[in-house]
Amino acid sequence: MNNSANENRIPRGVSHCGLRELLTGFMDEAAARQTAEDIQKGDEILGANLSPQPDELLLAEVKKNVVAALRRRRTVVFQRRILTAAVAAAIVVVSVLALIRYGNSPNSHQTRMVAAAIPSGVWEGADDADVTVLKAEVENIQSELSGVQSDNAGGNGSTAVDDLETELIEVNGDMWKG
Amino acid sequence: MAQPDIDRVIIGCKNGDEVCFTQLVDIYGRRCFGYFYRLTGNRDLSEELLSELFVKLVEKIGSYRGGSFDGWIFTMASNIFHDHLRFKQRQTRLLDGHSKRIMSQSAGVASGYDGDADKMQRALGELDSDVRELVMMRFYSQMSFKEIAESRREPIGTILSKVHRGLKKLRELMG
Repeated sequence: MNNSANENRIPRGVSHCGLRELLTGFMDEAAARQTAEDIQKGDEILGANLSPQPDELLLAEVKKNVVAALRRRRTVVFQRRILTAAVAAAIVVVSVLALIRYGNSPNSHQTRMVAAAIPSGVWEGADDADVTVLKAEVENIQSELSGVQSDNAGGNGSTAVDDLETELIEVNGDMWKG
Repeated sequence: MAQPDIDRVIIGCKNGDEVCFTQLVDIYGRRCFGYFYRLTGNRDLSEELLSELFVKLVEKIGSYRGGSFDGWIFTMASNIFHDHLRFKQRQTRLLDGHSKRIMSQSAGVASGYDGDADKMQRALGELDSDVRELVMMRFYSQMSFKEIAESRREPIGTILSKVHRGLKKLRELMG
């Protein structure tokens, strides 16, 4: 590593390869030649007057700082992962508790029971007009039935009541069938 | 011993390998120090900025997505230098305007070095700050004109013109 460090002690020197060709894209051939020469000589002056070098102690200190920063970063990343996992676990626990608490509430159970007790035909195919007609028929039969029952003195009253009851059952059945 | 393969070192750094990070300091530490020194003219400040650069590198290495690593690291060095300048400017304003201190620090007059180094630092102080930075970036990073133009998002013709102007003036001042 020491040799490689020495190789990097100073800049190897900027490349002038293709510089003139690059410059001819912006100026004529003579100007490009002159500009390339100016740049090359300027680079030579910079190369001959290098900046002071950092001492080895400084570089050792920089390395120490870098390693410390790296370890700090690892700790922060680890802590962040732990925190993320903890937050995720807390969300799961809260969700499960909420499901237990509100999932079994009497209201929601009742709602489900009511919904199941209503025949699906009513939800799916019931037409308001049909329901109204059937309802009117049922009411009509009920009124006839109560009329017959109140007039018990009639000779064949019991047969009339039976007929009406049968009709009522049929109409009622039709209604629920939709 | 051959220079470590830079690609392997970078992969190691991305994986958080401490040895690879120290190798990166060996490869770039001196050049980056030279760059900071030529811009600030101050050894202590250059040491501070160098340390800051490599600590920042630990945080940012994951964002390196290929291409010229020299360009990437020197762009980061340039940003750190500019952050420092902005900080100093704010500080100077707060201290009731001692802007000359910034200028002298930025232009830099080295002390404690040989005559040639002094002369170079003084000559650099005569250049526009933008031109000086460009000339130094090209010299220390060894990036091509095309890479510098891409890194600074400036037309290549503008970069060529500024570097030429800067180096020509430097030659006159040092002549």
